[in-house]
Amino acid sequence: MAGGGAEEMTYYEQEVRRLAASVYPRGELTRQVIAAKEYIDTHFAESLGLGKVAQRAMISKFHFLRLFKLHYGVTPHQYLTTVRLREARRLLLEGTPVAEVCTAVGFDSVSSFKGLFKRYWGATPASWKKSNFRDRAGGKV
Amino acid sequence: MKIKLCSVMVDDQKKALRFYTEILGFVKKREIPMGEHAWLTVVSPEEQDGTEVVLEPMGFPPARVFQKELYESGIPWTAFQVDDIVKEYERLKGLGVVFRMEPTSMGPTTLAVLDDTCGNNIQIYQVR
Repeated sequence: MAGGGAEEMTYYEQEVRRLAASVYPRGELTRQVIAAKEYIDTHFAESLGLGKVAQRAMISKFHFLRLFKLHYGVTPHQYLTTVRLREARRLLLEGTPVAEVCTAVGFDSVSSFKGLFKRYWGATPASWKKSNFRDRAGGKV
Repeated sequence: MKIKLCSVMVDDQKKALRFYTEILGFVKKREIPMGEHAWLTVVSPEEQDGTEVVLEPMGFPPARVFQKELYESGIPWTAFQVDDIVKEYERLKGLGVVFRMEPTSMGPTTLAVLDDTCGNNIQIYQVR
C-alpha cells in the first residue's frame, strides 16, 4: 500500500502506522487469521470446531484463539455464531421455514438456534420472520 | 433506543449534498427547510432504511475550531464501510477526490482517509 515519508504524513496516519506495527507486527500471521476467518465465512454450515479452523490457519488451537480475538475482538466460535445467525435472517426473509433454516446454517438443535437468534436479534425466528417477511412481501406472509 | 442518525458538520449544505451524493454515491433521504438551513440527510443506496447521515450546517462557531483541528491532524470525522477499498479508492481518485491517507493496512482492516471538501476528513475502511 502507498505511503509517503513521515514528513508528509498527517498525525493520524503516523498513529495508524505506529499502532499497526505495534498491534499487528507479523503480517503473515494476520494473513493466516484472515484466511481462517474467510474459511468460516464460506463453510459456516458445516460442523466447524476450533481445531478444524485453526488447522486451516496452520496455527496451534490456543495460539489461534488468542490471535483471532486480537484481530476481530471475538472468539472464532462467537464469530461463527454471528455468521450463522446473519445467514439465518437472510433465509427467513426468503421464506424458508425455521427448522430448515436451523439446519441450513449449521445448528444441530432448533431450541438452541431459537435461543441464540432471540439473544442476537431481539425476537424469536418466527416472530422476526413474521414482522420482516411481511414487509418484504408487501404485507403478505 | 436505536441509532438512526450520525452527523457530519459541513460548511455549505448544498456543496455537501453534491459531494455526498454525486461523488460518494449516497442518496438524499430528507430535505426539510429550517430557516436559512435545512434538515438534510443522506443514506447508503444499499441500506436506504439504515442510519442517516445528517449534513449539519456549521452554525455554532466554537465547533469550527474543533473541526479545523481534526482536519489539520488528519483525524476522520466519521467512517464509512466499503466492500473493496482499492476499487473505491480508485473510483474516487478518478472523480478528483483528494486522499489525505492512501489505503493503509491495520491488521485485517484497510483504511483510507479522504477530504470531503466541506471541512472534514472521512475515513473509508474494509474489514477482511
